[in-house]
Amino acid sequence: MLFNSHEFILIFLPLAVGGFIFLGKTSKGLALEWLIAVSILFYAWWRPFNLLIIGPSIIVNYALARVLLRVAHEECRQHFATCVLALGILFNVALLFYFKYANFSVTIANDLAGTNFVLHQIVLPLGISFITFQKIAFLIDVAGQRVKSFTLREFMLFVLFFPQLIAGPIVHFKEMVPQFHRLSCRFNATMCAAAITLFCFGLFKKVVLADGVAEYTSPVYSFATSAGKVTLLQSWLAAIGFTLQMYFDFSGYCDMACGSALFFGVRLPLNFDSPLKASGIIDFWLRWHVTLTRFLTAYVYNPTALALSRYRASKGLPILRSRGSGVGAFLLVLAGPILLTMLLSGVWHGAGYTFILWGLLHGLYLILNHAWRQYRPRFGSTLIFETYIGFALTFLGVLCAMVLFRSPDLGTAVVMFKGMLGAQGVGLPRNIHEALSMPMTTGFERTGEVLTHSPAFASAYCIALLTIALLLPNSLQIMSKYEPALNIPTRASLVYWRPTFLWMVFTASLTVVAVMRMTGQSEFLYWQF
Amino acid sequence: MTDKDILETLSRILGILLGTESMALTLQTRRADVPGWDSFSYVSFIVGVESEFRITFRVADVESFETVGDIVQEIQSAKSW
Repeated sequence: MLFNSHEFILIFLPLAVGGFIFLGKTSKGLALEWLIAVSILFYAWWRPFNLLIIGPSIIVNYALARVLLRVAHEECRQHFATCVLALGILFNVALLFYFKYANFSVTIANDLAGTNFVLHQIVLPLGISFITFQKIAFLIDVAGQRVKSFTLREFMLFVLFFPQLIAGPIVHFKEMVPQFHRLSCRFNATMCAAAITLFCFGLFKKVVLADGVAEYTSPVYSFATSAGKVTLLQSWLAAIGFTLQMYFDFSGYCDMACGSALFFGVRLPLNFDSPLKASGIIDFWLRWHVTLTRFLTAYVYNPTALALSRYRASKGLPILRSRGSGVGAFLLVLAGPILLTMLLSGVWHGAGYTFILWGLLHGLYLILNHAWRQYRPRFGSTLIFETYIGFALTFLGVLCAMVLFRSPDLGTAVVMFKGMLGAQGVGLPRNIHEALSMPMTTGFERTGEVLTHSPAFASAYCIALLTIALLLPNSLQIMSKYEPALNIPTRASLVYWRPTFLWMVFTASLTVVAVMRMTGQSEFLYWQF
Repeated sequence: MTDKDILETLSRILGILLGTESMALTLQTRRADVPGWDSFSYVSFIVGVESEFRITFRVADVESFETVGDIVQEIQSAKSW
């Protein structure tokens, strides 16, 4: 079920919250079981068949985690524990691989061998990438004795809790389950108001801001694919537009997820923290999809870097320092693991050459950022201009990578990049051409058939969205006095939300606009992963 | 070896790593409390500590250290073997 659908907002959510509070009056256990039941309904709504895949996977993971729990603390059975953990990770990765990458692997094999095998089209079960990562993290936590005990109910709540089920945040057992134990299951008017506000902010971002700009960007990308040509203006507008679309789509999703959880008194971890305000790409990844970065750092980057550092230390070679490290240490201990981690991140996002390149490109950005930190000349403290240049470079870098992310294939991405370099004509608007009395060059005569909005309209839309993303405080900052999520950084905000009449009117207006534009057909971009 | 000795050694290792001369870690210090102590320098710090004390942490433990105190405790228990 989509967060931005009528059935979710008008029927599912009120019933889920109402039932939870009603049952909570008699028994908290019953209320938590209700939460599990509605979460299963939420998942099955779109395609009940998916339950047949996720169900067995949950049971197998539960069984493996039980075994791990029993043997993890026994020193003499560490080898056995390692084997069980490896089996669990293998099981989850294999399941993900089959559904997500089987087709792509055949494509690669065909490309390499020049063959033409075709596999059945496998339908991706909703949210499998997120659910897989979460369960892998859980098994590792149990093996590392960071989870000391759990019941089937706790495990089900942790995996299935519907606000985070499909597209994250990727939560940890220890930050979620204690919250379920502390819940009062009572109606709290202020909390409810905060939850509604956050949810509606998210709805507005998704339906009005993200889907609004998509009306401009999507036709340009389709045109680039079909016609093999886009002009300078079109391609830049589409590239900026899609970056903003992705930004508000995911930001909106995260707000709606945190808002939905808050109805039950549960706080999800911070997942999106105004990433376009970042002044460097390292900073960007600490703000964009925070819980994915956290997962990849803890379970991919750190173990790899640790193993490589130990290898160097054992050979008596210098390890990485925070400044002026040797080139060998930099390449082996920092650049290598970063490239591996970002490659994995790219592949995780999608099965396709464009996603692999997207991951590698971000890996390269991160390595450059680290090289600058390691070897930059000493200016004393950070200079102001460094912040601004860093911001501009980060924005440009993210924007170019987003072209790869959005393009359905490499050919389209190449067309877009050529367009952005001006190799396919400028495409000035017709009225400017006429004013300059220049002959029409390539490009713009085509735009009439491509674009539903004029470039002027699209530019205005992009400028408005950029202003919101760069200058306004984010929704979690605005609501920070009511702690709507975990780990919100302490940053001052221009305005703070309070349960007042004025804020109610403001939120209601946003909601009315959003609901009027809601078609219930627009999926979140991150739901495909 | 007392906790204080270990803390001094840890402060020295981190100080060299981050290029900060006066580093004074306490048992309660968290990574977020020390400017520049990100996950990248954390890995180097852990390996520095391992070679100094001639021990090897479990990878899972490295992830779960929340305070410097947790690291000190792990070193103490590894040294008592």
